[in-house]
Amino acid sequence: MKYLPYVLKHLRRNWIRTASTVLAIALCIFLFCTLQSVMAEVNALLEGTSANRLVTRHAVSLVFNLPLSYGARIQSVHGVKRVAINSWFGGSLPAKKEGQESGEGDSSTTDWSNFFPNMAVEAEPFLAMYPEYQLPPDQYQAFLQDLRGCVIGRKLADKYGWKLGDTFYLESFIPPYRKPDGPFEFVVRGIFDTDPVKYPGTDTNIMLFHHKYLYEGTGRGVAAGSYWVEIEDPEQAGAVSKAIDALFENSDAQTHTETEKAFAASFVSMAGNLALLLNGIGLAVTFTILLVTANTMSMAVRERRTEIGVLKTLGFSSPQVMGLVVTEALLLGVLGGAIGIGGSQGIMWMLTHAPGIKTALAGIGLSELNLRPLVASLGFVVALFLGLAAGFVPALGAYRARITEALRAV
Amino acid sequence: MAMVDVRDVRKIYRRDAEELTVLDGLSLQVQAGDFVALMGPSGSGKTTLLNLIAGIDKPTSGTVVVNGTEVSRLSETQLAAFRSHNVGFIFQFYNLIPVLSATENVELPLLLTSLSKKERRERAATALKVVGLADRAEHYPRQLSGGQEQRVAIARAIVTDPQVLVADEPTGDLDAKSAQEILDLMETLNRDFKKTIVMVTHDPRAAAKAHTKYHLDKGVLTS
Repeated sequence: MKYLPYVLKHLRRNWIRTASTVLAIALCIFLFCTLQSVMAEVNALLEGTSANRLVTRHAVSLVFNLPLSYGARIQSVHGVKRVAINSWFGGSLPAKKEGQESGEGDSSTTDWSNFFPNMAVEAEPFLAMYPEYQLPPDQYQAFLQDLRGCVIGRKLADKYGWKLGDTFYLESFIPPYRKPDGPFEFVVRGIFDTDPVKYPGTDTNIMLFHHKYLYEGTGRGVAAGSYWVEIEDPEQAGAVSKAIDALFENSDAQTHTETEKAFAASFVSMAGNLALLLNGIGLAVTFTILLVTANTMSMAVRERRTEIGVLKTLGFSSPQVMGLVVTEALLLGVLGGAIGIGGSQGIMWMLTHAPGIKTALAGIGLSELNLRPLVASLGFVVALFLGLAAGFVPALGAYRARITEALRAV
Repeated sequence: MAMVDVRDVRKIYRRDAEELTVLDGLSLQVQAGDFVALMGPSGSGKTTLLNLIAGIDKPTSGTVVVNGTEVSRLSETQLAAFRSHNVGFIFQFYNLIPVLSATENVELPLLLTSLSKKERRERAATALKVVGLADRAEHYPRQLSGGQEQRVAIARAIVTDPQVLVADEPTGDLDAKSAQEILDLMETLNRDFKKTIVMVTHDPRAAAKAHTKYHLDKGVLTS
């Protein structure tokens, strides 16, 4: 510790160079933490999928619906246990108006900052294939018996303070899912929980309601957004998927069936490639910053060659001089790491609080984006590694420097 | 027993196949409390001899004993410890650390000891007082004149209370007045504080302060 003031004075010597080096490391750690946090959330999302669930959607795009008649035909495929419609409603709470009852509004004043995932499903088969959603039996029955009823996850209930019997309104941004007479009204009939140990990654920030309500409310004009299919044997997922798609091969609306995990991955911009891309960017930035920092450290130490000779003349041993240089490099890493981690935490807070971005993230299931302690710790380790790696060569040079040669470099 | 005992020392520098003999079988004894001036033309081996005495270089052959320690047999780490306890080095260009104040520069060798910060500061203040710079303790090298910088360097050299001071052209970068002040200070350190001083110089006025003068030429003592 007694050498710390000496090291700090050297860092302040050329503060512009020190600041730019720290900022370079900070940028690297910022990118690392932010990208890894996004990846961690995506992975958590994918973890919440089941191997025995398939998703059948329109072969062209998720934008196009499938005929309602497909459900029965899919059910007939060998290996299929149950089928349920699942249409992504895309609804948001209407904005409050002055003098207006809470929750009421019209389509022109929809508040998109209050967006959360909401789906119109065939309740019985859908909930049967989702043991993750633990709903008390009486609430389940109440939901089945009320066309306007809905079930919401615990997180969503806590977020808005909703309880059983509360009503609220949702307006979809998808025109065919809108009613001419205003938003859909929903009654909370059930609040489901989940077991985070048994079902990690299960999102309870969602809402489910009856597809029949959507169908009737829109004048029977909508079809099925997608079909969720539970199969008997996860090993047969490939064969069952092919069999389903073969059924509709020659129809106007051809299908594409895949596992729920693959579907979720494609839904979050093909997460497999995303991981490769993000990790590639992170690695390239880290390597570049390493070179920049190493060059800066080398320059800083080369400028002090005479001082290194003086220190050794005064009695500092070669390992001690090397230690001073390494400490200096590590301090750059610590400072850069702290700023980078702080910046990453800040940007994630902004992303999850900025209205437009928050909505977009919630739409793909990333309702929460947090800097996890593990990612932050890893980021800090990377920062220390950057400092250490950048300082190693100049430190070795300082270690090897002969006094007589160093003093001659005046 | 001599404070500095150099016996039959040869120093040969090798570069590829070429050999350059800088010191050629040189022997020299400096008694405790002596003030010795080493003179001679450039390239005669003065600084090389000084480096061997200070323990910052090793002879190719022969022995160098300083304050009872055979310096020529020590490892690099042992040499570092030897220098910190036994030798104070005064450079021609002062070689102060620019980012440290006068006190911090003087305190630098004490970081290698087990002294507390308070004790280090007290010793540094005492050393600065000895060289007459107590009122410049918090000044940085850029805020000091050449003579003052050299006095800070001398304070740094004596702060660990070494037996031997080695000085390489200590007045070489100073004006006549400052040079005289530095020489007077070195004389005081020798006379009042009983420091053994070995000084390399080209300056006859500096050499005049020494009790003993040696001339080197082509690696051998000529007088």
